[in-house]
Amino acid sequence: MRPHHMAPYLHVMQADDSTEYEIRVKGHLDPRWSAWFDGLSLTKEPDGTTVISGPVVDQAALHGLLQKLRDVGVPLISITQVSRDVA
Amino acid sequence: MASPLLETKLHVPKRRRSLVPRSRLIGRLISGAEAALTLVSAPAGFGKTTLLAEWLATDPACPAAAWLSLDHRENDPALFWTYVIAALQTAIPAVGARALSLVASSQSSMEPIVGTLLNDLHAIPHEAVLVLDDYHVIEAQDVHEGMAYLLAHLPPQMRLVIAGRADPPLPLAGLRARGELVEIRAADLRFTADEAASYLNEVMGLELTPAEVAALEGRTEGWIAALQLAALSMQGRDDITGFIGGFAGDDRYIVDYLVGEVLERQPPEVRTFLLQTSILSRLNGSLCTAVTGQDGGKAMLEALDRANLFLIALDDRRLWYRYHHLFADVLRARLQDEQPDTVHELHVRASDWYEQNGDRPEAIHHALAGEDFGRAAGLIELSIPAMQHARHEATLRRWLEALPEEVFKVRPVLSAGYAGAMMSTGEMEGVEARLQDVERWLETTSEGAGAPSAAMIVVDHARFRTLPASMAMFRAGLARLLGDVPGTMAQARRALELAGADDHLERGGAASLLGLAYWTNGDLDAAHRWYSEGMATLERGGYHADLIAGAVTLADIRIEQGRLRDAMTIYERGLQRAKEQALRGAADMHVGMSVLFRERNDLDAAARHLLASRELGEHAGFSQNPHRWRVAMARVREAEGDLVAAVDLLDEAERLYNGDFSANVRPIPALTARVRIAQGEVGHALAWARERKLSVDDDLSYLHEFEHITLARALLARHTTEPDDRTMHEATRLLERLLTAAEQGGRGGSVIEILALQALAHQARRELPAALASLEKALTLSEPEGYVRAFLDEGPSMVALLRAASHKGVAGGYARHLLSSAGATGGRTPGQRGLVEPLSGRELDVLRLLRTDLSGPDIARELMVSLNTMRTHTKNIFTKLGVNNRRAAVRRAEELGL
Repeated sequence: MRPHHMAPYLHVMQADDSTEYEIRVKGHLDPRWSAWFDGLSLTKEPDGTTVISGPVVDQAALHGLLQKLRDVGVPLISITQVSRDVA
Repeated sequence: MASPLLETKLHVPKRRRSLVPRSRLIGRLISGAEAALTLVSAPAGFGKTTLLAEWLATDPACPAAAWLSLDHRENDPALFWTYVIAALQTAIPAVGARALSLVASSQSSMEPIVGTLLNDLHAIPHEAVLVLDDYHVIEAQDVHEGMAYLLAHLPPQMRLVIAGRADPPLPLAGLRARGELVEIRAADLRFTADEAASYLNEVMGLELTPAEVAALEGRTEGWIAALQLAALSMQGRDDITGFIGGFAGDDRYIVDYLVGEVLERQPPEVRTFLLQTSILSRLNGSLCTAVTGQDGGKAMLEALDRANLFLIALDDRRLWYRYHHLFADVLRARLQDEQPDTVHELHVRASDWYEQNGDRPEAIHHALAGEDFGRAAGLIELSIPAMQHARHEATLRRWLEALPEEVFKVRPVLSAGYAGAMMSTGEMEGVEARLQDVERWLETTSEGAGAPSAAMIVVDHARFRTLPASMAMFRAGLARLLGDVPGTMAQARRALELAGADDHLERGGAASLLGLAYWTNGDLDAAHRWYSEGMATLERGGYHADLIAGAVTLADIRIEQGRLRDAMTIYERGLQRAKEQALRGAADMHVGMSVLFRERNDLDAAARHLLASRELGEHAGFSQNPHRWRVAMARVREAEGDLVAAVDLLDEAERLYNGDFSANVRPIPALTARVRIAQGEVGHALAWARERKLSVDDDLSYLHEFEHITLARALLARHTTEPDDRTMHEATRLLERLLTAAEQGGRGGSVIEILALQALAHQARRELPAALASLEKALTLSEPEGYVRAFLDEGPSMVALLRAASHKGVAGGYARHLLSSAGATGGRTPGQRGLVEPLSGRELDVLRLLRTDLSGPDIARELMVSLNTMRTHTKNIFTKLGVNNRRAAVRRAEELGL
């Protein structure tokens, strides 16, 4: 089963060891898509791209996100892992 | 019930009413007929499905075509192949019947099933094509492996077309290099400026200017779905120029923007309908009515179909539809944003509809998606027996894993099912927690004789009644894995008391576990009695796959008992059963037969069976087979006199060792120590014995019997180089005690070996009458079962002793038989040994270059063959030489004088 279909079954995890990612895509995605991307935040950039950012539990969840992007045909520009400041 | 087959998945999608002709792409599909694989790979909305449907409908030379639209459920290999076969049968009715029955009835791996299917495909007299649409939903590695196998063996008249949003993990590079791959990608599929103009003006009748078409084409970059949405937004609009200007100047995600435009132009009831039904992967009138709670689902679907609102009819009668995937995804995202609280409720309604309409797997899917875990748990509990029977374990595990922990605490039958599913796949982590969930309830209801208490939830009452027996069986299994023999026995006996006469799984499992416990204790008669009863019970219950795994163990027990002929019969039956029912285990049977042929001193047959085992491939064997194969090969090499190769193979075997439930009665390091003795490295063997803390004064136990006999051998060997009465005395005393123990345990194989060693010990002390007396006992026991190597492996002093026995008429006939065997093989030296299968001329060429420093690709270039061909040669060489790597191949070739 692809993560896309698993997503509704997974309980929202706010694991402490999750990693911050920034995923940049082409086009402006409306904030309404936040729920679709499991609550990650969407920031429209002036260059016509959108940055989807927030904590991602693990690699499997990251690939699930990428598949969602693939499935709605949003062109992917970059993925960056962001180091979090130590609290 | 298992999943009913959805006919709609096998239909070639209807062609749309009006299409932009795509003759350049159709031409490439037609001219690609020679290629094994055609890949149509592009993101959603690029017209992949439409193109393929048009091709099949318009190609005059189009072969018999089978179509399968995949969805996430086919990540279960059993379901995937069931659908593939069903699809093929729509085009070629004669294929796949046997493969289908294998999927349904057996526990075999997928490769024999694909192999059987391929046999049918090779026999078809005409060209045929199999189209797999939406292949990107497949993530299961075992499905990809099966597909790679299918692709690699596809007959020339068969063509495979795979369409999806991502390149499949199949060996594409190799196909591309050989010209076996036709690719149609996003750049090919997107509308050119001409096609966009033709679509917008001719098909949609929009009368746009070239500049307007160019603006739309530029903004959408020829993405067909976007152009379609744009056209829908423009139909009936007054200010088309304004729309195009707004669209072209906007940075928003195209589909989002356009779907917004389309939805805005729909009446509220249509908009709500679209959003609410977007959670469904398939739609029909009745289902939509149930999910939306509004009558008129069918009429609404027909209206959407007419308005061309991204609805795709799945059958000719227009009963079932689905949304275009891209459209559905955007709708679902909006639903989640606008009505987040209704999503779960919509799924639960869908679940309810599917349960009422007889599709339990889909009902479970929606119950889980709606997070109604109670409902899901109940449905899953009821489907466990059918899912296990239909071999949909992968799906079952995924469902169970999706349930939250709390659910299991109140559902003992579900918990037990989960424990069983985990244990059957050898997974131990998490089993204990599930068992404890069950036991808590069994304790509270123990007096109630099977009546569930109020707080617990039981749906499958028949299973609830067998729970006490199942639990005892699981406990026995866990104790077995932990090496707790008394615990295994106690729980297994309890399971036998608690199980009803027809609870075959519980009875059979418990009896087998009891047999294994006796085996570990060295009571071979009881071990055989219980284990064979367990197998007979499982056979009555129809658990065929377990019988083959059990055959390996049962034969092991027979061999320990010294009943080689019975063991051979068990392997022969096991092999036949594995072949007939395409079950895993044929490879193991060949290894077992090899061991027995070796004992008879038929080394050629022994090597042949090992080759046969290897050729069947890893999928045909259980997880213990890799180490068992190497041990068997090491023993053959040892008998041939190649002790270096034997040690190498034993080292490999040790790395690969996998104990499973069986008793480790012949530890590999002890086998290695024996070869070391034969190599004259007695110090090595004694060091091993010290490391294992073995001593002649140990209390004897069956589990250490093989090691203690090895210690006695080491001591006898040391006595020959450094004669010392104390050493000899220790060895003979140990052998004496070992003999008594082996006789008491009914371990005939050990008795023969110990007697032979005693004979040699007597001979070393020049006590010929005593030596002959021991030898006579050994020979008498050996003759009916045909032991040969047990004597020949002892070397020249045994040959001398056999000669003396023959002269004196002690067990004369059999002694002479052994002597003639020794003569037949005694003269064999490594250089003269033939191979089971000689190397071909080309293989000898490759072998010559393997001896150089050249790399694989260099060798391929040197011989002017492809790297693939070179690899095939190398693989064959390795197989024929019985080695696993280049270094070993070179060494072995030198030994053989090749």
